[in-house]
Amino acid sequence: MNDLLEQFLVECRDLIDAATADLLALETAPDDTERLNGAFRGFHTLKGAAGIVEFPAMGRLLHAAEEVLASVRAGSRTVSGELISDCLACLDQTGRWLDEVAATGEIPATPEDAAEDLVARFAASGRLATPGADSVPGGAVPTDGTPPDGVPRGAVPAGAALGTRVATAAPDWVARLAARHQSEGHRARAALRYTPTADSFLRGEDPLAVIARIPDLLAVELMPRGTWPPLDELDPFTCDLVITLLTAASADDVSTIANTGFGVLEVWPVAAAMLGPDALAVLEEQARLAANDTPEGFAGRLASAGLVASNVLRRSGLPDAASAVADAARTGQSDRSGAAFIAALRAALGDTEEASEPQPKTVMPDQSGDAAPRAQTTRALRVDVERIDALVSLVGELTAAKNAIGHTARLMREGTDLAAQSRALKDQHALLDRLVSELQRAVLGIRVLQMRHLFQSFPRVVREMSRELGKTARLDIEGETTEPDKATVEALFEPLLHVLRNALDHGLETADERRATGKPPGATVRLRATRDGDQVIVEVADDGRGIDPAKIRLAAARLGLASETELEAMPDQAVIELIFSPGFSTASAVTGLSGRGVGMDAVRSAITRLGGSVAVTSQLGMGTSVVFTLPFTILMLGVMTVEAGGQVFGVPLDVVIETTRIPRDRIARLGAAEAIVLRDRTVPLIRLAEMLDLPGTARESAGGDVSILVASAGGQAGAEQLCALEVEAFGERMDVMLKPMEGLLAGVTGFAGTTLVGDGGVLIVLDLQELLRCQESPL
Amino acid sequence: MTVRVAEDGAIILEGKCPAEDAETVARMLLLDPAASVDWRACDHAHTAIVQVLLTARPVMVGPPRSLFLRDWIAPALSGTPT
Repeated sequence: MNDLLEQFLVECRDLIDAATADLLALETAPDDTERLNGAFRGFHTLKGAAGIVEFPAMGRLLHAAEEVLASVRAGSRTVSGELISDCLACLDQTGRWLDEVAATGEIPATPEDAAEDLVARFAASGRLATPGADSVPGGAVPTDGTPPDGVPRGAVPAGAALGTRVATAAPDWVARLAARHQSEGHRARAALRYTPTADSFLRGEDPLAVIARIPDLLAVELMPRGTWPPLDELDPFTCDLVITLLTAASADDVSTIANTGFGVLEVWPVAAAMLGPDALAVLEEQARLAANDTPEGFAGRLASAGLVASNVLRRSGLPDAASAVADAARTGQSDRSGAAFIAALRAALGDTEEASEPQPKTVMPDQSGDAAPRAQTTRALRVDVERIDALVSLVGELTAAKNAIGHTARLMREGTDLAAQSRALKDQHALLDRLVSELQRAVLGIRVLQMRHLFQSFPRVVREMSRELGKTARLDIEGETTEPDKATVEALFEPLLHVLRNALDHGLETADERRATGKPPGATVRLRATRDGDQVIVEVADDGRGIDPAKIRLAAARLGLASETELEAMPDQAVIELIFSPGFSTASAVTGLSGRGVGMDAVRSAITRLGGSVAVTSQLGMGTSVVFTLPFTILMLGVMTVEAGGQVFGVPLDVVIETTRIPRDRIARLGAAEAIVLRDRTVPLIRLAEMLDLPGTARESAGGDVSILVASAGGQAGAEQLCALEVEAFGERMDVMLKPMEGLLAGVTGFAGTTLVGDGGVLIVLDLQELLRCQESPL
Repeated sequence: MTVRVAEDGAIILEGKCPAEDAETVARMLLLDPAASVDWRACDHAHTAIVQVLLTARPVMVGPPRSLFLRDWIAPALSGTPT
């Protein structure tokens, strides 16, 4: 994919996110002009971006939505749920196109249908004037009024002729321009005059780049608005240009391409200008004659109209048009219809209903070299310049440290005062150590992502879901600026979505139910992220009906999770936690949103995979709160190495409770299993080599010690289950950058990932909790 | 850098010159009004730069690599200021 498209994708996604937020805010506060302007700007800029990459369907769709927002701005429409939905649908469609562009590296070739439906929807409610047609119907002379600064002028007085109107008198500049370029004039079909706003450079626009995309240019003129200032008085950031041009492309094509920037854009068919008002009047008259299809005298009328029209055209220097019109008049006589003649007349005058030869598509530069079949859909990561600067200075320090080591090495080779040199080397090592850990921190810092990236999609989700469920819910978001690791943020999306769904579907009552219990009819769901030391805490809390332990007991008994007596004996909190059991569901009906049996257990396992935990608290009638606790960074992992079956494995330190050696005779046999007693607790003993299906070294007969690693096998703090692992040897402790299992290995369970160790080997880090779960299940 | 001064004092535009270059070019032309502008390696010049060139009318060394600049902007620059 070329740079232009990549940039396009990044920018458009940001714009869509921002516009979505604006639209949603606008729905709750329809009078918020700030939001309205924000949404309008978003759509406008998106439309501009579509123009830059030459994606006309996207341009048309966004133009339609922009027009609607413009009419809201003008006060002629009010914000309605439907309007917001349509605009959001428009953004959705754009998002899908972006995905397609990201996947294929190309602008979708046939995106028309999807967009046209939406455009039609806008049009059907009478809100839309299509580009080029929103000036004065019937092709009347457009007002010369300049639109307010900053408002793009969609009005293009081209090709709007209806009935027998064939053209409109063009302003003088068109004729003068055509006269100045007479040699090319006969090919010219459209004239354009573009006056960018003075601040268009500051807005990041490049008017000439727009002009460069217009095909079949015949002449380009660049003028100052007034006179050229002396160079030392020129403000290079203020646009003072008026661009005029002639092209052989049709006026409609030109306005579609050029209608992206801020400023005043005027596009006119040239032929009409070359004719002058008198000749035009004559041609109009001929069209009226031809339109009169009373049978008697029709052939004669058409013949005469054809003759007059072609003469006028020929005299005005349009010989091609003249013969086309004459031909059309002749065919019209045999067909007994004036339609073809009128069409030819319009075509000659630059109208676009002509069946013109297909325009050669302009080819984007630099595209040939990009043969990458499917681009990855990874999103670009925006990084603060400060963070990059910090990295750059760290690299500088590292280089200095490296040079110092080289110097020490030279001194050592010369063999002078080895003791001093080794001291120096030790200092340098300490320095390097500090720099490397700083570098590590800095690099991890780049990967942090504000929670905002995750949270910003949820208001939309809540809106759609509550509409579907017929409930009124507001989403309150706090802590958007919390910055955990990118991987944490990204992995949180699905679990959070799931919990939000549950909250809306099961947690919240309908407005009527809420009124009956004395609650405000609109429910509130709070989504909050906070940092707590090394951990990030994400909470979803609703003010709904809460979880009823009695219902959970019933459902649990029905599902056979525990016997009724056991359930009766369980404290309410423990009962509520049963919602994390696999397959648990209280839903009596499967709604579109939840109750499909993929429940909270999926959420819990997703969070556990991230090294976090999830807890739920609920108060009947007051609401439910689900709290995720996750490590702030999940990349740096303290591990210790152990040997089993002759191989070295890493074990995450956070699950290791202790390491110890015990005499072999303290291992107790419990049937097929083994256990040890550790500080008055019986702990099951598992041989790691066996668990991993490795050829374990045969255990020597009685006597000797065994190395035991005691690990947490999950469960709540304070009451966690322990598990003892017999290993052959303990290795060292280290902090590693864990690389998740990828490709073919991605599906293998029980392994947290791999890391490179000092000797260049690969260390496999075990996910003990998962391994132990697998161990349990067959039993 | 997309704009630099060669040893002989010519201002050289290379690659895709962004709007920010306009100020640089203007400053260079103010320092040395007789400097020529060599845009043979220029793939695109932002409108702001073209505007500076239109104002200053330096001697252009071309043709520029960009066809659009060559066909439509270069002629405008060689004409007399109005």
